[in-house]
Amino acid sequence: MNLETFQNRVFPVKNKLFRFAFRLLGSHEEAKDVVQEVFIKVWNGREQLEEIQNMEAWCMRITKNLSLDRLRQQQRRPTDSIEKGLHVQNETQSPHDTAEMTESMKHVGELMALLPERQRQVMHLRDIEGYSYNEIVEILEIDMSQVKVNLFRARNAVRERLQKINAYGL
Amino acid sequence: MDSNNIEQLLEKYWNCETSLEEEQQLHIFFRDGSIPDSMKDAAELFRFFEIEKNKSLKENFETTVTKELRQRQGGKIISMVSFANIARIAAGILVVVVATYFVRQEVRKAYPQEAQDTYTDPQMAFEETKKALLMISNSFGKAKKEAGKMKMFNDAEKKIQTKQSPEKARI
Repeated sequence: MNLETFQNRVFPVKNKLFRFAFRLLGSHEEAKDVVQEVFIKVWNGREQLEEIQNMEAWCMRITKNLSLDRLRQQQRRPTDSIEKGLHVQNETQSPHDTAEMTESMKHVGELMALLPERQRQVMHLRDIEGYSYNEIVEILEIDMSQVKVNLFRARNAVRERLQKINAYGL
Repeated sequence: MDSNNIEQLLEKYWNCETSLEEEQQLHIFFRDGSIPDSMKDAAELFRFFEIEKNKSLKENFETTVTKELRQRQGGKIISMVSFANIARIAAGILVVVVATYFVRQEVRKAYPQEAQDTYTDPQMAFEETKKALLMISNSFGKAKKEAGKMKMFNDAEKKIQTKQSPEKARI
C-alpha cells in the first residue's frame, strides 16, 4: 500500500480516533499523540491492511489500547477530579464551542467524565460516534451483553444525575 | 414527529432498546425541534453529544503525520538492510565457531595425549625415579612384614584345628 492510498483510507477516521482518545485520556495533547502513534503503527503494518475487514474498528481498538497503556504508565485517571476534567475540556474548545457550551452542558460533560471507564467508553462509541453494538463489541473486545449492560448503566446514571441537578440544583 | 412519539422513543432510548436509526431521529429532534420542558434533561444530553461529535483535530495534523510516515518509510528500508547484513555476519561467525569446536573434538579423539617430560636434567630425573622406587619398595617391605604376622596367626589357627579334630572324632 502506498502513502496516497493510506491517506485516503486511514486519514478520514482521524477525528473519531482523536475524540475517543480524548475521552479516555482527558488531554488534548496526549490524544493527538495517540492518534499519531496509531497512524504510525497502522502504517508499519500496512501489509496486513488488506486482511482486515473493518479498518475503522481496528484503528479504534488500537487507539483504545494505546490510550489505556498511557493511563497505566502515568498511573492516573482523567476523572481524578471534576475540576481537572473541566479545565482540560475548556482547553480543547474553540470560541464557537465555548459559546455553545452552556452551564447545563458542562454538567453533562462532568457527569460523563465521572462514569466508570467502561461505561464512558461504551456511551462515547454509541451516543457520540454512532457505532452499532457489533462494532462496539469489536472495538472494546468485550461481549454483547457487557456492551448493553454498560450502556444502560451509563445512560441511566447520567439521566438520574441530570434530573437531580435540574430539580434541586445539586 | 410529535412529542408523544419522541417520548416513546426516549423511553426506549433509556432502556437501550432503540436502533441506530431511531437514535438518529432523536438527535435530529433535539437539534431542530422546540423542546418541551419535560424533555429538558434529554435535550441537554443530546446537545452535548452534538457538540462533542464536532470536535476535530487541526488541519495541519495530516501534514505532520504524512511527514513522519515518509521519514519512517525510508528509515524502515535502511534498518531492514542493515539488519540483514548483521544477520549474515553473525551466521558466518557462528558456522566458523561450531566447525572449529567439532574439528578439535575429532582431533582429540584421534590423537590421545602423550605423557610429557617433567625434568630436563637426566641425572635429576634418575634420582627422582630412584627415590620414588625406593619409597614403593619400602612400602612393600612394610606390607610384607605385616603380612608375615598374619601368616603366623593363620598357621597357629590351623595347628589348633588339627589338634582338636582327632579329639572330636573320639567323642
